[in-house]
Amino acid sequence: MAVVKYINLYFKLIGAGVRAQLQYRFAFIMRIIGMLTAYTGTAVTMWVMLYQFQTLGDWNFYEMLFLLALAIVSWGFCIILFFHFRSLDTYILNGTFDRFLVRPINPFFHFMAMKFEVSSLGQFIFSVVVLAWVSVELQIDWTFTKALFLIGAIIGGVLIQGGLLVIISALAFWTTKSEQFYWVAMYPARNLTYYPLMIYPKLLQWVTAFVIPFGFVNYFPSTVILEKETPFFPDAIGYFSPVVGLLFFILSYFIWMQGLKRYKSTGS
Amino acid sequence: MSIIEVNGLHKEFLIAKRETGVMGAIKSLFKREFTKKEAVKDISFSIEKGEMVGYIGPNGAGKSTTIKMLTGILVPSAGEVTVNGIIPYENRQANAKNIGVVFGQRTQLWWDLPTIESFELLKAIYRVPDKRYKENMAIFQEILGLDEFINTPVRQLSLGQRMRADIAASLLHDPPILFLDEPTIGLDVVAKEKMRTFIQEINREKQVTVILTTHDMEDIEKLCQRMVLIDHGQKVYDGEILAVKERFGKMRTLVVDLEETSKQLYVTGGALVKQEGYRYWIRFNRDEISASDLITQISQTHNIKDLTVEEPVIESIISRIYQEGFTEQHETVHI
Repeated sequence: MAVVKYINLYFKLIGAGVRAQLQYRFAFIMRIIGMLTAYTGTAVTMWVMLYQFQTLGDWNFYEMLFLLALAIVSWGFCIILFFHFRSLDTYILNGTFDRFLVRPINPFFHFMAMKFEVSSLGQFIFSVVVLAWVSVELQIDWTFTKALFLIGAIIGGVLIQGGLLVIISALAFWTTKSEQFYWVAMYPARNLTYYPLMIYPKLLQWVTAFVIPFGFVNYFPSTVILEKETPFFPDAIGYFSPVVGLLFFILSYFIWMQGLKRYKSTGS
Repeated sequence: MSIIEVNGLHKEFLIAKRETGVMGAIKSLFKREFTKKEAVKDISFSIEKGEMVGYIGPNGAGKSTTIKMLTGILVPSAGEVTVNGIIPYENRQANAKNIGVVFGQRTQLWWDLPTIESFELLKAIYRVPDKRYKENMAIFQEILGLDEFINTPVRQLSLGQRMRADIAASLLHDPPILFLDEPTIGLDVVAKEKMRTFIQEINREKQVTVILTTHDMEDIEKLCQRMVLIDHGQKVYDGEILAVKERFGKMRTLVVDLEETSKQLYVTGGALVKQEGYRYWIRFNRDEISASDLITQISQTHNIKDLTVEEPVIESIISRIYQEGFTEQHETVHI
């Protein structure tokens, strides 16, 4: 009962968020175009690099494009759902966060539903086009289970990246400002996912698998779909992606709530 | 039982000491020293249903901290709070249903959307039944004139309109208690008056208990019978506004314009506080000397062209309480 009401409320709130954003049409369209060009740039860089070497590790250009597209499609969903958390520190700084605490609903939910970033259309156009193209080039056989696994992997990726956004935002409860942590943790972690994990030093691979589990966003699931080997890791590790995502997100939620507790005793 | 019960409320913050210079900044990365700041010290009061109470104090006195503890935003360091039988910080969401909150300087409306949408969303958040929603909106439209700007985006509203919308939004779910944090700040005289009339009306008609913080003494004088005055986190006064006026309002100022003269003015029983040309300001205690006695005294030596007696406004009374504390003052300065 309560869940149904929360879902209802969620759609009402995000509906309002979307209408609010559409008030600024120009900015909205520019964002989409900006993202589209930025990712195309990344893909071109990749091509230039591989033109010389043919393969990176044992990954060829198309396989790497698949990796990139998978990272970007889940990042796109992640932006839609969780990007509002990036501005949590601004709310805390200018005192507008209190508003979420005088309402009779869960503040995490309320904060999350306040904004629904629709401008990630650029990410979707890019990743859908690339995935289709690469599927043909690599002759991927999209069986029902494979497609289902892809969806599961995307959900896992969304939850992992969203979880990190949530954890970073929660740091604002302790330090007031959290923007810098975004550049220290989120940005490099996302950049790592653009290339196959196996080309990195062992320690970095280990961290990316078990500490900040960004390996599960695209690398491990890609090895399952593309039937590739995962040196240093068991072959089936990619299948755990949705579970890892769920666990990581639950962890991030508890860290956020812990931060909120601190906020309520310090008020800053 | 009172609707709001505050007992020995205490709140302290740890504030990180900042050292100056680059070395200081580096040092503070590794070892931070904290100073304790007591924002609220041992405050107790209780408020009955339907009361309208002014919660007054200078900036940094602990007003907002107290309000935040009453609304469940902050957890007290010590002491007890109950609001409508609920401990706010333990049961924040249940408490939220019983209270309406308006922070005068920050809107709680959706900035980019037409005003009506904020009401629709709050209706969903508070689960206000359709019937109640329609009835309440009709009342707000009648008293607050929301109609004229209901379809305008919030960011385009004037401050007066925005405050009206904000206060209506805080009352949408029929809370028995309303917290108003500086509800008239920045408003012009007409808008202020409208706001005050509305607050009075909902207090009277819906028996809403109102706790109001403000720097505008007219708000207090016009709206509240009772005020709680705090300074440096402590309660300085709690009682009727009339009593404050009674106790601190004994001082009057007689302003006289004299005809040109070379003779210096001397008065006994009053204090000459200011002089501009031939205009004199004489402060006196009503209990010790009457204005007419003073005037007679002056007219014996000088010709009076014009005169007025100024009563103290509550604002100056309060600023004196801050400076001197709430103790009996006998001020008799002779010159």
